[in-house]
Amino acid sequence: MSYVPGQPVTAVVQRIEIHKLRQGDNLILGFSIGGGIDQDPTQNPFSEDKTDKGIYVTRVTEGGPAEVAGLQIGDKIMQVNGWDMTMVTHDQARKRLTKRNEEVVRLLVTRQSLQKAVQQSMMS
Amino acid sequence: MYRDAEEIEREKILLCETSSSEHKLSVAPEIDIMEYCRKEWRGNTPVAKRMRKGYEAVAQKFASIRRVRGDNYCALRATLFQALSQATQLPSWLQSEDFTMLPENLLSKYDWIKQWQLKQKLGRKMGEIHDEIKEYLILLRKKWKNISEIKGPIEKQEACDKLFKNEEEEYSLYEALKFLMLNTAIELYNDDKNGRRVPVFSWLLFARDTSSNPRQLMHNHLNHIGHSGGLEQVEMFLLAYALQYTIQVYRLYKYSTDEFITLYPNDPEEDWPVVTLITEDDRHYNIPVRMCQETML
Repeated sequence: MSYVPGQPVTAVVQRIEIHKLRQGDNLILGFSIGGGIDQDPTQNPFSEDKTDKGIYVTRVTEGGPAEVAGLQIGDKIMQVNGWDMTMVTHDQARKRLTKRNEEVVRLLVTRQSLQKAVQQSMMS
Repeated sequence: MYRDAEEIEREKILLCETSSSEHKLSVAPEIDIMEYCRKEWRGNTPVAKRMRKGYEAVAQKFASIRRVRGDNYCALRATLFQALSQATQLPSWLQSEDFTMLPENLLSKYDWIKQWQLKQKLGRKMGEIHDEIKEYLILLRKKWKNISEIKGPIEKQEACDKLFKNEEEEYSLYEALKFLMLNTAIELYNDDKNGRRVPVFSWLLFARDTSSNPRQLMHNHLNHIGHSGGLEQVEMFLLAYALQYTIQVYRLYKYSTDEFITLYPNDPEEDWPVVTLITEDDRHYNIPVRMCQETML
């Protein structure tokens, strides 16, 4: 997804609702995140734009709550329960996803395959 | 006007030598952290194994490492380099109006500060102590301001690299930091004497035989930093407090203990920025770069 400063950003988003799994004292989501404004974006294998400091899904646990909810590896997380995730540090992102008493998190994600599918259908 | 072949050759060599010493980079270019680890620690001794495991742990969060020049300023060098590399604004203590009046103010209260060891300047006459230190503080503020105003991360890093190739300026900044450490130590000492709460490290700082008060701290410790000694651990706390930064250190020889990652101070204020260093032995510090953290949720 290319971003031109000053121009409106359009994105095809997917809503993902994750019901966390309780494991003892912890609520597990079953995926890993990479990225953040304090991180080095060139290390991100999933972003199209290597200056993109957004939060990306780097791993999804098989059979875990995230996979069940439809989250995929490489998804970029735009929002969590209404909170913006495009301009946060790695640790802020972690905190927003792992709030103690929140059993359900609603994510807005973008996915390159979605973008491409929409573009192609628009062209035909 | 007309030089013979020999003279031209001599001139070329001279040019090479001066440019290589002018451009001596105090902080080496980055290399892959695991590659660095493999080269440094080959054997199978328990120490080597522990170091490799330590580096692997660092590599989960940082992709590269930059070697820092190993003189007795290296703790100051590594910390300042990291702070400037990510600086986006002047810290509040640098913004204060009477920041540059600090040397004069302190000297008027504490006569013993006249014995502060200034760094020797080759060829230049040494001025009054408070003038010299004032110059260093002004330089610190100027450099911090310039670098923090650079928006692009690549340009910012380039400006940092350039500063750390200029020996004269670089070493003046370390002297400024040392003076700020003295100022902080004096504040803490006085707070404690006046019954105000002080952080725990402050007691440890002044509990040492060699520094039971700020005057001794200056004589026996601060005056030696950069010359015959580096920073002791308790002085890392002092540096962090002076800068109002949290210094996070991966201490590799402490791998698999709860001191592997040590924070100075260990109960950091929320809004103090964090800089990260690596040390194998608490003596020499290097810099990890290229954060690429991945967190399992």
